[in-house]
Amino acid sequence: MSKKANTSLIMSDAASRQQRISSLLGQAILFLITSLSTITVFFIFYFILKDAIPFFKSEGFKEFFTTTRWYPSGSPAEFGALPIFVGTGLVTLGAIVVAVPLGIAASVCLSDLLPFNVRQIVKPVIEILAAIPSVAYGFFALVVFAPLLQNHGGAILSTGVWIVLGPIFALLTMVLGDLLLDKLRNTMSPKVATSIVFPILGTLSFLFLYRLSANLSGVEISSGTNALNVSIILGIMALPTVVSVAEDALQAAGRELREGSYALGATRAETIIKTIIPASVSGILAAVILGVMRAIGETMVVWMASGNAARIPEPWYNMLQPVRTLTATIAGDMGEADHVTGSSRFHVLFAMAFCLLAFSFIMNLISEIIVKRSRKKLGK
Amino acid sequence: MRLETRKLLDKAFSGLGLISIAVMAIALLLILTPIVWRGSKAFIFKGTIEHRRVMLELFDRGNPEKFNQESADAAAARAPVYQMMEAFEAEMKAMDRKKRKEYKAPFREVENALEELLGPMPGQRTPVLLRQRYGQTRWDRALVKLHETLYSEEWDYSNADAMGVLVEKPRVDFFTGTELEPLFQYLEDYLPEMMQPKTTFYYQFITDKSKDSHIFGGIWPEVLGTIYLTIGAMIFAIPMGVIAAIYLCEYAKEGRIISFIRICISTLAGVPSIVFGLFGLAFFLNTIQVSDSKSVLAGSLTLSLLILPTIIRSSEEAILAVPRAYKEASLGLGASRWHTVLTVILPAAMPGILTGIVISMGRAAGETAPIIFTAAVSVGAPLKIWETLSQPTPALPWNIYNLCTEHEAVDEIRHVQYGMVFTLVAIVLLLNLAAILMRARISKKLRG
Repeated sequence: MSKKANTSLIMSDAASRQQRISSLLGQAILFLITSLSTITVFFIFYFILKDAIPFFKSEGFKEFFTTTRWYPSGSPAEFGALPIFVGTGLVTLGAIVVAVPLGIAASVCLSDLLPFNVRQIVKPVIEILAAIPSVAYGFFALVVFAPLLQNHGGAILSTGVWIVLGPIFALLTMVLGDLLLDKLRNTMSPKVATSIVFPILGTLSFLFLYRLSANLSGVEISSGTNALNVSIILGIMALPTVVSVAEDALQAAGRELREGSYALGATRAETIIKTIIPASVSGILAAVILGVMRAIGETMVVWMASGNAARIPEPWYNMLQPVRTLTATIAGDMGEADHVTGSSRFHVLFAMAFCLLAFSFIMNLISEIIVKRSRKKLGK
Repeated sequence: MRLETRKLLDKAFSGLGLISIAVMAIALLLILTPIVWRGSKAFIFKGTIEHRRVMLELFDRGNPEKFNQESADAAAARAPVYQMMEAFEAEMKAMDRKKRKEYKAPFREVENALEELLGPMPGQRTPVLLRQRYGQTRWDRALVKLHETLYSEEWDYSNADAMGVLVEKPRVDFFTGTELEPLFQYLEDYLPEMMQPKTTFYYQFITDKSKDSHIFGGIWPEVLGTIYLTIGAMIFAIPMGVIAAIYLCEYAKEGRIISFIRICISTLAGVPSIVFGLFGLAFFLNTIQVSDSKSVLAGSLTLSLLILPTIIRSSEEAILAVPRAYKEASLGLGASRWHTVLTVILPAAMPGILTGIVISMGRAAGETAPIIFTAAVSVGAPLKIWETLSQPTPALPWNIYNLCTEHEAVDEIRHVQYGMVFTLVAIVLLLNLAAILMRARISKKLRG
């Protein structure tokens, strides 16, 4: 009787071993499935590299990276991809110029300025911006925005200047004016100084903006599908990434820092600019990097609306000319190259994909390291 | 700085932040408004008699008796047009040769424009191309075609310094004094009688097949293809992703290997989508050959790899949000770890996991680049479910690209393009809306 009770409460060695083995086996299967993403990453690198190497073997590196003639279907074929790299860089740069200031301002606003209720409304707006499929953005860029830009380019540019630079110049005027007033305090009465300094600075900045917008309104855009169009749309697409990552970073800076700064008598703006942003600068950097990756890896918008001309714009920063990017080249040329699998024309696209892959891999690593380090620094 | 300025700066700073939020909202509005507004016109529009003819003849839809009645009305209104043209042809025959030659080409232009507007003339052989068998099916397009009939376009190069300018000339000027002269005024006055426009709610746009490469009909093959691809991607990605998340949260001991796996997951999330497409081509199609040509299967596999990191991350978050007490209570009752995961942790984390799944469904439905080389074709019939293993399919994202860049009559089918974009955006946003609502419910529940 007592023996029986014993066996039912304490497992026999065999049963215990069996259970341990089955649990280990189960864990092994789980581990295998988990490591699937690791295997995938290795496979992606391997298969892209496998088809990229034949190109570098037969054509070498020099032509691909340094020359400017891109005629993959000519005879002899020429594979100078420099214009395509420049195009990618230009478009990405434009997207950063749009997305980073706007994104950081918006994330500051979300994390420090808006009350909770309003934030609950704004967050879905960002999520919707992130959710809209890239082909819909591309369609908008090609069918709606490009004709607008082509027909009313000057007007759009000059209003854009007013909208974007107007507030910034107003701020600048105030800051500069105040600094000047500090300097003039000893020589003049403050009232006189105020009535002189601010009107002069205001008129100057107004005149500057006016001239700039007048010049821009005369610009004629020969084709609406150009780097500017794509940059703006890509910037909008990268915004949600920048905002959400930067906002996380700003939130992570914590209450103590903010309250400490307020206690010293700083205003909210001073707290954010002088304390919070420096404290979370690494997270913001990570946000910028992720935004760059989003812009560089985007295919449909650039394919549809960048004009696809493999030329370096003249001068190189001319955003009003059509450009071509790596992603668009891969997407556009593979259709034709597919029939001649094994040719240089086929492999060059894998070489481009490898460049993209390597770049995004490095960027990703950097952002991971930055985030990890900043977490350590903030003690979390 | 003085206190006043500091306060002013503070306010200005807040203003800048608010402006940036406003800019974002405005950008969203600017992008969505034309898509929604013009997209809805693919469904609700003023359809002409020709639209009802197409519906009746190609899709067996509508009331034949009523149609015959309307058709007779329209034909009666059109009869004078054809009479005038016959009269002019007779007049031309009577002219001397030089004059006849002069009138011939412009008259053919008028004839062609009218055929595009109203469909083939009575007594003419049935054209081979489907698109030539019917006139304009939409009132807005009919007005455009009317304009083309009334005016001829010519390039004016008289100013040698500038680019050529497009000028429109009324065709009526050319035919003044002939039998054809009253035709143009008649067309302008009686177009509604000839076309019988009626507000139409064409909700079958989603479920109709397309005829003659989207000139007529709807977008069912694309919608179905998108559904197949999305569901296929989810079939592969959900089990893999959720299991990986369970392992990472409940079993894995933090160490080198796990942190390496995490780095790989974030790398995978950062791989450009076009590279996924190339990988799908090189691996699934060229190496292990899951199918002979592009197929829904290959596309789904590629898409599933693309959304895997998203699913892992959101599932992980959901599992980590389950209170520790649940797990400890279950383990304390003597349940095994696996049993605890299945019966306690997963049910508690399910709403969060579902939210992530729904969001990645939206992502999979909208991605274009990965399916270009692995699954998508421009024209195709709706697939049966078993054909998805071996055959490519049209899909909404790819066909939007295709229709607005490579179609031979881009301007004629703007409404179809907008309709497609609208449908795709609606699908994706509805999925996201569901996710947002789900999340709101979860956070309410957690707050108590």
